[in-house]
Amino acid sequence: MATAANSPTESRYRLDQVDADADLMVLNFGPQHPSTHGVFRIKLILDGEIVIRAIPYAGYLHRGVEKLLEKLTYAQGVPIVDKNDYVSPMSNEQALVMAFEKLLKVEVPRRARYLRLIFSELQRIASHLLWLGTFALDMGGALGGGSTVFMYCFRDREGILDLFEAVTGGRFHYNTHTIGGNRHDIPLGWDKRVLAYLDMLEPRIAECESMTTNNSIFVARTQGIGLIDKDLAQGLGLSGPLLRASGVDHDLRRDAPYHAYDEVPVRVMVEQAGDCQARALVRVREMRESIRLVREALAGLPEGGINSGKIIKMPQQFKAQSGQVYAAIETPRGELGTFVIAGGGDKGTAPYRLKIRAPSLHALSALPWILPGHTISDVVVVLGSLDPIMGEVDR
Amino acid sequence: MAVDEQGSAPNAAGQVEAGTPEVPVIQAQSPPIAAKTAVPLAATALSAAIGPGHGSVDESVQAFEHPIYKTLLNVPGLSVAVASLDQLLTWGQKSALFMFPMATSCCGIEFMATAASRVDVDRMGAIVRGTPRQADVMVIAGTITVKMAPKVKRLWEQMPEPKWAVAMGSCAISGDFYRDLYPTIPGIDTVLPVDVYVPGCPPDPQSLMHGLMRLQEKIGLKRAGQWVPTEVRPETEKMTNPGVRRLIDPQRDPEVTAQQTRLALAATVDEPEGELLESGAEAVEQQLPQDLQTLLRERFEVEVFPADAAPIVARKHHLHLARTLKAMGYLNFVYVVASHWPSKDGETFEVAYAVRRTGPGTTLAQWRVQLAADEPIESLAEVWAGADWQEREQYDLVGVQFAGHPDLRRLMLSDDWQGHPLRRDYPADKACFPWR
Amino acid sequence: MDLIQHGFLRGIAYGLLIITVVMTATAWGMWLERKIAAQMQNRMGPMFVGFHGLLQPVADMLKLLQKEDILPAGADDWLFNLAPILTALFAIATAAVVPWSAQIVASDLDVGLLWVLALGGIMVVPVWMAGWASNNKFALIGGMRAVAQSVSYGVPLVLTSMVAVVFTGTMSLSGIVQFQMAHGWLIYWPPGPGIIAFLLFYMALLAESNRIPFDIPEAESELVAGISTEYTGMKFGMFYVAEYVHTMVGSAIAALIFLGGWDGPFHWLPGLHWMVAKTVILFVSVYWVRWTLLRFRSDQLMRLCWLYLVPMSLALLVFAAVWVTYFAA
Repeated sequence: MATAANSPTESRYRLDQVDADADLMVLNFGPQHPSTHGVFRIKLILDGEIVIRAIPYAGYLHRGVEKLLEKLTYAQGVPIVDKNDYVSPMSNEQALVMAFEKLLKVEVPRRARYLRLIFSELQRIASHLLWLGTFALDMGGALGGGSTVFMYCFRDREGILDLFEAVTGGRFHYNTHTIGGNRHDIPLGWDKRVLAYLDMLEPRIAECESMTTNNSIFVARTQGIGLIDKDLAQGLGLSGPLLRASGVDHDLRRDAPYHAYDEVPVRVMVEQAGDCQARALVRVREMRESIRLVREALAGLPEGGINSGKIIKMPQQFKAQSGQVYAAIETPRGELGTFVIAGGGDKGTAPYRLKIRAPSLHALSALPWILPGHTISDVVVVLGSLDPIMGEVDR
Repeated sequence: MAVDEQGSAPNAAGQVEAGTPEVPVIQAQSPPIAAKTAVPLAATALSAAIGPGHGSVDESVQAFEHPIYKTLLNVPGLSVAVASLDQLLTWGQKSALFMFPMATSCCGIEFMATAASRVDVDRMGAIVRGTPRQADVMVIAGTITVKMAPKVKRLWEQMPEPKWAVAMGSCAISGDFYRDLYPTIPGIDTVLPVDVYVPGCPPDPQSLMHGLMRLQEKIGLKRAGQWVPTEVRPETEKMTNPGVRRLIDPQRDPEVTAQQTRLALAATVDEPEGELLESGAEAVEQQLPQDLQTLLRERFEVEVFPADAAPIVARKHHLHLARTLKAMGYLNFVYVVASHWPSKDGETFEVAYAVRRTGPGTTLAQWRVQLAADEPIESLAEVWAGADWQEREQYDLVGVQFAGHPDLRRLMLSDDWQGHPLRRDYPADKACFPWR
Repeated sequence: MDLIQHGFLRGIAYGLLIITVVMTATAWGMWLERKIAAQMQNRMGPMFVGFHGLLQPVADMLKLLQKEDILPAGADDWLFNLAPILTALFAIATAAVVPWSAQIVASDLDVGLLWVLALGGIMVVPVWMAGWASNNKFALIGGMRAVAQSVSYGVPLVLTSMVAVVFTGTMSLSGIVQFQMAHGWLIYWPPGPGIIAFLLFYMALLAESNRIPFDIPEAESELVAGISTEYTGMKFGMFYVAEYVHTMVGSAIAALIFLGGWDGPFHWLPGLHWMVAKTVILFVSVYWVRWTLLRFRSDQLMRLCWLYLVPMSLALLVFAAVWVTYFAA
């Protein structure tokens, strides 16, 4: 049981037309289910409680973001992508503006790059906290210990939202990145608030750990569940914590540094097991690492402007007639990339084609490979450990 | 107040259209006359759905109450006792609102935050239930797509009366900036009656709690016999065909398709003409590694290496190149992007691929393949498993055929969708919106 | 007079009294749980309805009474309607034989313990009826899980209670308490096996009353709401209440057979106080565990039962027999 599939291509679709006489049960898991993390459907073909085949269906939240971005100018796109990966809006904005900056050849000042790093790492903590809470909720139910972990994580996540609100004025969708810099500089005394918050957060992460990753029930539920081996993880295009939990030492922050990651080096957390427990451990350690990174970046935060000087007055200012650019960053979920083909809109003011390379979509495509052989209870755990965000999957 | 659409007319399919313009909005204690004027347009449909006598307590909308309740009300002298009992029942209904989270996107996170420690909606006795059967309030939190709307409708129908709906966030209220796009519906009130709108993108947790408290007020008014008049959102009124017919009927209206094509040819095809602009003229550097350039030049007959884009590989070499790259250690699949290039002579497609060598000093190998109209491209699903879903997505949205793909179905849109929305001639704007 | 004292009128009066007391106690047991959970989670819990939400259970029940009663398409209407009634009935019937003090007992059966265990065991029937009749796959899976779990954990539950029976030589609940008043509470006398038997009983109790970490039949995050997925209004309310009654009676039984029932360290306080205090402490502890731990998977649950709890209970039972035969005399 629970081994990674090696050749599911020939087997996984066959049961799409399973005959009615077989002693199997078809269970539609979703699109609205307490544990699908949004609107997502898996058709489970069950033998008793064992999953024989899993056929995922996405697209229940397909909102046409890529089409919309073709219609808007470059500068107008930023608030749109906030809503893609709605658990880490900062990362979305950064991925988009970095592609545009690369396309339009705009320099970002050093202070803005540091601020972006700080925002991105704080966002990573917030996103992982939310993941930990919902993951525990999947395992412990809404009426149980899981909801206690969930409440603790949400309580701590509120602190980061408050910090972001102090900078941007928005609690959830920030719209703070522009092409060539940031829109908002940090207010006076903000760094002290961040440090105080981080000091408070560290013991609380330990508290959450004692209820989850150090808990024997948690270990029993996650160990050996949802195995993704190295080859499969690479071939599926997994990235971020999922890839690192499968033993691939890869992190764009270290391997292809952007922002200020070349000046604030990252320690990459790698686990070899490739199961749900490894993914949980990687994420929890990444939270600790992010705390360290924020502290270091705040200590080394340079003075200066936060904008390239090309302050957006008119969206029509940026034009690009030709060129194709791909820029990627490491979000809490993995490699979030933006592929832009220039030359759309009125004389090149908008992208001709824009594709958002969403890590969650790749993560979900692992499901038919790893679910067979697990029970229904494990389906919830595996899905939770992949940490998909439907806004990003479907866009 | 939760007008039961199914209560007066058994035919669900026909009823959906008639019932939809009737969209209740919270409005405190309006007199009956105001109520009549507030529903000017779809009056006939409304009278079919709700019946006459808008200003008084309508019998048909209280179908969920036991007949004995009415009899008791008519017994002389008993009304005094019933009135206090009624107050008690009202209090019970108001104080224990079980919520069903129809949480699709960002607002769902704020919905969770509302249930979490800081705001703690449990203070007012509202808890979250995972099954619609045990819920009183459906909180529609997030964008509702055309694909999801029938499911929302069905979940709404599965909820027992009395039930209420709260539209949380601008997507659920009006569709927000997705409203004019092809896959979303312009507000959940085109599908089911909404009692309270909580604006925001997303609303704060405290706003949602405020909305729930307004809902409590509304329940109180309703139970006290005061009809809270329905108020149609002006935007909903303007819709000529606000039904969900297209969801039931897989065949699209041919007129819409024709109009779509006409508008497309007139408006959205971008001809690359006119003078070059200042920043666009600069070349964009590409980081194709030197060894890959050599490889492509020597073994795959690539002559041109554009400065601002990936090199173009002939289609016949495509699969072989992919296998070679995988053998070279490019194990991590990154993206497939298809794009559509219409012109006066016809249309062409271009498919861009990228794969990654992971680890320190990671490198990205990118290449492009150009296709004529209706020409398929070899699928890479057997080389990289991740190409499977990516190619399905591109097939769905752009309409490029991938030969040898194990399972080429639509990924994002429903199977009966017409057209491929990310083609340049597929307009995103509302004139062609299938809802209107 | 004779009829009133000994006839069925007395039975009806007692029955009504028990239902009233049990339902009232359960209602505020729910409130207590919500407040405890809220405090554990840095929340307030119900606050708006009555003083600190004291009237919340009343509001919940009033609301559930007013909800529409839906019979799902394709459901077996007889079984569907009967299941919640039977569940509530069996749960409340167990409360009938619980002695709250030497005097306060509705019906002091001389096989009281057997009655409770039997009714607890038969609970699985209405639960399976609900799972089967709902015509819902989540409910069906929940029902299957409930049957497997209830049947399995019934074994250690009965075996550990038998340990108490062997030590005390009686199946009457008040007899067990009287033995403990004379010889010391079973939890510490004989030293060792008593506490193990109590802990095993407690775990089996958690499983029998479907509480985390053994709540797989409900498992909201997996099975939406398990067997009660399709139930609306008061039918759902009956399941809800039955669970709490089950937990409370279970706590009372544990207090009776292991913690000396109404026996206390000093006797000037009437025995009822001790009994209620012990029950409430056990009841609260069930919820403390519930709001702390995560959930087991079903196969892990079965493994825990058959590989650990059942052999240990059997060994305890053998030990008890040997002890009684050779040492206690």
